[in-house]
Amino acid sequence: MAGGIALKLVSFACAVHLFAEYIGTPSNMSGVSMLPTFAGSGEIVIEDRLSIRLSPTGVARGDLVTLRSPIEPSRIICKRVIGLPGDIICVDPTGLKAPSTEHVIVPEGHIWISGDNAACSRDSRDYGPVSMSLLRGKIRARIWPPSEFTIFRNPTTYID
Amino acid sequence: MKSRPRMHSLRWLHLLPIGAVACEYFYKIKVVNGRSMQPTLNPDWLLSRDVGVFDVFSVQAKHHYTRGDVVALVSPMNPERMLIKRILAVEGDVVQTLPPYPDPTVIIPKGHVWVEGDESFRTDDSNRFGPVPSALIESKLISIIWPLNRFGVFRSKPSINMDGLDEPSRRHQKDAVDRDRWRDSRVVRRPGQSA
Repeated sequence: MAGGIALKLVSFACAVHLFAEYIGTPSNMSGVSMLPTFAGSGEIVIEDRLSIRLSPTGVARGDLVTLRSPIEPSRIICKRVIGLPGDIICVDPTGLKAPSTEHVIVPEGHIWISGDNAACSRDSRDYGPVSMSLLRGKIRARIWPPSEFTIFRNPTTYID
Repeated sequence: MKSRPRMHSLRWLHLLPIGAVACEYFYKIKVVNGRSMQPTLNPDWLLSRDVGVFDVFSVQAKHHYTRGDVVALVSPMNPERMLIKRILAVEGDVVQTLPPYPDPTVIIPKGHVWVEGDESFRTDDSNRFGPVPSALIESKLISIIWPLNRFGVFRSKPSINMDGLDEPSRRHQKDAVDRDRWRDSRVVRRPGQSA
């Protein structure tokens, strides 16, 4: 009988894990690269995994995304999408990491990502455009601390 | 009374998540499509497709993959496509590229690998899209289960022992060994080895 209960517990844990992996999960944020959108530590956000599963290329400029780091396979990073395939991007407008006149075209199946805190972020300015296949999810809301509760909407406006 | 047998089979339904997790993170069975790994995989492409067992756990959890391994990876150009390729070089290696790659040699950056198909004419590989992030590697081929005449553990390095083989398979084996040597020779420098 105890074995049966243990099995049910394991099964429940697996179900929770599958939900987190396919639908969405609260995740802990750490790191200064997304200041001032996210604090350096102690914040919990809702990571939506379902939209990327359903449409792996369905991201827009300005979205907050999580992805597997192209330089460290076991690390998950959070950045903002700046450019989509075909866009011409100025590598670094501040001129810190590359001359501000250098431009690149984002190749097919790739995106250009950048941290909100340009001074303290390792992103496409260092490793170039990243493959969309590395995308994991989108950040939808911040739920902790409660006083800072926010729903993130895409802030981009286009001027025609 | 009629619903009794159905209830009985539904009793095991609560174990479904365990099964799903096991399939997702430990071993996967996949059918190999396409000709890019010929003649290692799908040698009789018109007649049948190879079916293999892929090890997810040692790739995702332990990051065990090295030069010569045949791996399944998500295409860096299209997230909806899976590719099957051989790892030619790992981070820090210097590789001699093939056309259409623009540079004659390339240093594999941190966290990346260089992948190629065994059949160099019909493959979309690193010579086209450059080094790929290791995070895209999903699993590695550990054994072939179909067709039955090649059933068994998959060896990424061909054996040079040719005792007891008939003439055609001896020739196949020799070709495989030659290709393996050629792949090896294209990694011109490995980390820790001086120029």
